[in-house]
Amino acid sequence: MPQTISIRIDGELVSALQGQTILEAAKQAGKYIPTLCYFEGLSAVGACRLCIVEVAGTDKLLPACTTPVQDGMSVTTTSPKLTQYRRIALELLFVERNHVCAVCVSNGHCELQNLATSLGITNMRHWYNYPNLPVDLSHKRFVLDHNRCILCTRCVRVCAEVEGAHVWEITERGISSRLTSGLNQPWGQVTDCTNCGKCVQVCPTGALAEKGWAVEEMVKQNDNISGLAHRKGGQ
Amino acid sequence: MPPIQDIGAFNAVREAGLAKLLPPVPRVAIGMGTCGRGNGAEGIYHAFADLIGRTGMDVKLVSVGCFGACFQEPMVNIRLPGEPLLVLRRVQIDDVARLLQDISSGRITPELVYCKLEEWDHITSTVKYGRGYPEVPSWTEVAFFKGQKKIVLRNCGLINPDDIEEYIGIGGYQTLYNVLIDGRPDFVVEQVKASKLRGRGGAGFLTGNKWDFLAKSKTDPKYIICNADEGDPGAYMNRNEIEGDPHSLLEGMIIGAYAMGASQGIIYIRAEYPLAVHRLRRAIQNAREYGLLGNNVLGRGFKFDIEVVEGAGAFVCGEETALIASLEGQAGRPRPRPPFPAQKGLWGKPTNINNVETWFNIAPIVSKGPAWFSETGSTKSSGTKVFSLVGKVHNTGLVEMPFGTPLKTFIYDVGEGGSTPGRAIKAVQTGGPSGGCIPREMFDTPVDYETLQQLGAIMGSGGMVVMDEDNCMVDVARFFIEFTHSESCGKCVPCRVGLDKCLRILTGITKGIPGMRDRLEHLDELARMIRDCSLCGLGQTAPNPVLTAMRHFRTEFEDHLLARHCEAGVCQDLALSPCENSCPLRMNIPRFLQLYQENQIEDAFLSVILDNPLPGSTGRVCQHPCTMRCRRQTLDEPVNIRDVHRLIADTVFASNNFESIVKRIIARKLEPTGRKVAVAGAGPTGLTAAFYLALLGHDVTAFDEKPEAGGMLRFAIPEYRLPKAVLRREIELIERLGVNFVFNTKVGIDLPLNELADRFDAVFISIGTWKDSWLYLPGTELKGVHSALGLLEKMSRGIPAPIGPKVAVIGGGNAAIDSARSALRAGAEVTIYYRRDRSDMPAIEEETLAAEEEGARIVFQALPHRIIGDQDGAVRAIEIEKTRLGEFDKSGRRKPVTTGEIQRYECDTVVLAVGETFDLDFCKASGLELKEEGTLIVNRFTLETSRPYFYAGGDVITGGSNVSNAMGFGKQAARNIDERLMGEKRWDRLFPEFTYSQQPPAEPSGSRRHNGHLIELMLRSRSNEEVVTGITPKEAHEESCRCLRCDVKTNVSAS
Repeated sequence: MPQTISIRIDGELVSALQGQTILEAAKQAGKYIPTLCYFEGLSAVGACRLCIVEVAGTDKLLPACTTPVQDGMSVTTTSPKLTQYRRIALELLFVERNHVCAVCVSNGHCELQNLATSLGITNMRHWYNYPNLPVDLSHKRFVLDHNRCILCTRCVRVCAEVEGAHVWEITERGISSRLTSGLNQPWGQVTDCTNCGKCVQVCPTGALAEKGWAVEEMVKQNDNISGLAHRKGGQ
Repeated sequence: MPPIQDIGAFNAVREAGLAKLLPPVPRVAIGMGTCGRGNGAEGIYHAFADLIGRTGMDVKLVSVGCFGACFQEPMVNIRLPGEPLLVLRRVQIDDVARLLQDISSGRITPELVYCKLEEWDHITSTVKYGRGYPEVPSWTEVAFFKGQKKIVLRNCGLINPDDIEEYIGIGGYQTLYNVLIDGRPDFVVEQVKASKLRGRGGAGFLTGNKWDFLAKSKTDPKYIICNADEGDPGAYMNRNEIEGDPHSLLEGMIIGAYAMGASQGIIYIRAEYPLAVHRLRRAIQNAREYGLLGNNVLGRGFKFDIEVVEGAGAFVCGEETALIASLEGQAGRPRPRPPFPAQKGLWGKPTNINNVETWFNIAPIVSKGPAWFSETGSTKSSGTKVFSLVGKVHNTGLVEMPFGTPLKTFIYDVGEGGSTPGRAIKAVQTGGPSGGCIPREMFDTPVDYETLQQLGAIMGSGGMVVMDEDNCMVDVARFFIEFTHSESCGKCVPCRVGLDKCLRILTGITKGIPGMRDRLEHLDELARMIRDCSLCGLGQTAPNPVLTAMRHFRTEFEDHLLARHCEAGVCQDLALSPCENSCPLRMNIPRFLQLYQENQIEDAFLSVILDNPLPGSTGRVCQHPCTMRCRRQTLDEPVNIRDVHRLIADTVFASNNFESIVKRIIARKLEPTGRKVAVAGAGPTGLTAAFYLALLGHDVTAFDEKPEAGGMLRFAIPEYRLPKAVLRREIELIERLGVNFVFNTKVGIDLPLNELADRFDAVFISIGTWKDSWLYLPGTELKGVHSALGLLEKMSRGIPAPIGPKVAVIGGGNAAIDSARSALRAGAEVTIYYRRDRSDMPAIEEETLAAEEEGARIVFQALPHRIIGDQDGAVRAIEIEKTRLGEFDKSGRRKPVTTGEIQRYECDTVVLAVGETFDLDFCKASGLELKEEGTLIVNRFTLETSRPYFYAGGDVITGGSNVSNAMGFGKQAARNIDERLMGEKRWDRLFPEFTYSQQPPAEPSGSRRHNGHLIELMLRSRSNEEVVTGITPKEAHEESCRCLRCDVKTNVSAS
């Protein structure tokens, strides 16, 4: 049984278990830290940087999803600087690709959109990149729209860690990074794919969606996936 | 060779190795690192081998690594038995035969010899070569090596990297043997900890602490990794270290493995270093054969082996977690830490990763002890660091210096200053793409981890790229962001998208894309966010070049954004051509050259005069910055632009069609606006402003305290350089445009500024620096001491100069040269005393040379000490103190330092030409703010002073400058005053369209540069006649044909 320790989150003393991350301890204590690439039950990668927090004693901003708690740690989850940086991170995601909410199946149920709303983002200060990106319609049940992908790699991880099919990977690097299926084949041709749809359900935006839904209609059902992941012995 | 199992066998190898290094026959060693090979070392090696084979000489020929002085490659070491090792530089194949002759004659001619080594401290032992060659400097006396301390590079360039016996011969692997015999691994860790060695990869984490983590871990197996994934542009020390001395790396790793209990070592090296990989593989194979790697190292029962893994060259794989991912066969993307590699590294096992150079330091530390090691360097950073000194510096190469050495030592002492004459060094970039630019004002900074970080730069792997005035700091920032942007792995959002945005903004600024004005704040905010939020070291440090550039060179960013001007002339989209970019008046130079070439003289004149209202005068006295970056000089010499526009002006002013051209100019005048503008000071600045303001339709009145217009051009520059008739014609033209002149009126005294404010809509202050700076020198009160400007003004008014037959001029600017030449014409004998050296003289070079030809003597490095008078209070002699050139000051020139040596020269007249100043107190009284040094504060871009509608330009804002700079301000002010008064941009309406060819020459013209002709010395040195006659029409035509037409920009589509 892991040892129980005490930490402060936003000044409030809470108890946490040794080995937990700041994010897990905060959740347990009912404290909210915004996240995007994090998905309970999957390994944490610390890629979106929305969960950055301030920890007393270090100048560095630390991602709550991968930083383990330490006894006596004092964590600040919200500050003007953190909010500013989180907003910039979201803005960057919006301008990177073509997120047009009005025509998106996930409009109204999109984690990216919800975060933007809660952080009060109404317009972009940076120019849009408007990249020319394809849509993969080759799968018989699902769609991959690269225009809406934020490269959170939830799909990569759920497929590898829960389903065990390893269909997804990231190809290229930097701003050219793309989600790719199989051996860089159209999704529909990837024989490893079990058509389970877990990737679709964990996708925070409309990048992975079921066919057949119109604008606003795709509501992701992923409550059970974390439980499944825990049973599988995921992290 | 059977594996070494006991000390007897080891010592036998050691002796054999030393005998190879100090053979009883001549030994010739060719520097065959990548740098040497790139400069032809292989050819030299083969030439030696051929000739030795053919002649059958008894000479031992080997190849060694790089000795560090890359600018002197190819380097060859020659040692005759019993004599010092001679280091030869820039050896060519043609030299080989002669060198072999020298060798057989037993005496090397010192022509190619760079330095000598009488003995060498390999740290693990000392090799005594021998004494001799007193005329050859020892290596410590050569500027490049002075102050260097070679711990890491202790063997590089001296031993054969492919021969393990030579390494053992100089005491290599002895430390390892001692450690194994001693049998206390924890003691080794303690020693490394006590030495305070810090990781040389860049972050500077204490190596001992890292070792301690791994040593304490109980998990098995443990791995140690050498990070040889060196990828910074401009840094190559790891490559040369491995190429020159691979066994030092292996020994450090084996000791480390023993200390930490690791059984497997991996060297992760980039595949782009084929020679280093090759030598490393051979070294490992040899080490195995000699029993230094394998199941029973040196017979002591320790099991360890090393594997070489070639990386594909992704920059991010230098990040330890990405390196581990790459070793595991995954994409090179970093993972979040914790867990740290020491907890969970390669294959999930505890792992220690150190940089090549860190491993190189291990054997010396263990052998000589931590106290010896921490003697060198600064308190917090002990030891030495190898830097690659590259860029715009005279001496380039690998420099190993103790920590805490100031930057200026690297740049001015080791590097011996800038590589391009006439271009001052501007900054140094440390730490590669993750580092930052440090401006020359901060070159006193000691180089260690902490101080560099405080300046926003980092130590990084030790790259040092020196930049001069030809480097645009915005472009430099863009270049590095482009690099990190393309090397970003794409995992975390700040680095992936943030750097992309940064790059787009910076590209926008360098290309002059409109709508960028508010982007500077976005850029700053974004850069900070990337720095603070990124996942790994690549992202966290990638914004450093931008942040430091914006911190130390903000004006350059503003110039690009607000004035569309790139001072360095790098950002080509902001300029028409390099000449236009360098001209303070931004004259369209290619246009008038082309028009002249097409024989459209009138249009050429119109083009010239609408860009520059005093073309004849500037054609004679301008400092011609236009030629500074003329691309023609990459072929032969710059185009003589100044003399072509002088000829155009002279031809048209004297032609019968002049009146019709004047009509064409007057026709350009815009409709009268009814606005009144006062111009205070009718010198070149004021005349230029008045010219344009009149063209723009304003009612202009120009005031001047002198009885005529022209300012310095009229009253300071002597007749023989600028005939007053030329100037008068140009001023007449300005008058005909409707400018009213009011003379003998001193603005501020006779006419208060507040009164001007009542009478005019805008005021432009352009008075010159008419007050001489006076030197505080004993004896300046004596009769016969004059100020240069006072003297020149008297002479220009035709008043006989009050000078005697022996004149001493103090100063090195144009005023000094002008007064010297004027005094010569008055029949005097003239000597000029200047405190710095010839190359530092601010005067125009041609003028200085002409003065010397005419008989002026110049004494350099001479500071006036006192002036001696006789009983009547008249000057009798001057005493000067000799100076020597000391350290570089903040202007990038060497500071004259007094030596105490006094010299006395007889003279009867002393002319002080030590700069000019002015009295602007009246401006202060009228609400105009002044800077500390007494110049007016203006907005750099609009030239408006702190009082609205009051503008200022020229010397009053810069201090004494030159005519083209002054006129540039006049032009800039006129444009802004007009915009302010009229509320719209009307400037472009002044300029007509010209029709001329837009084809660059198919082939560059073959003719050479024509210079203006000096009239005969006999005629000129005693008369006031103009001394330079300019070039002939035929020569001017040829000059105009020499232009390469950089202004023609064609989009070459990539087909």
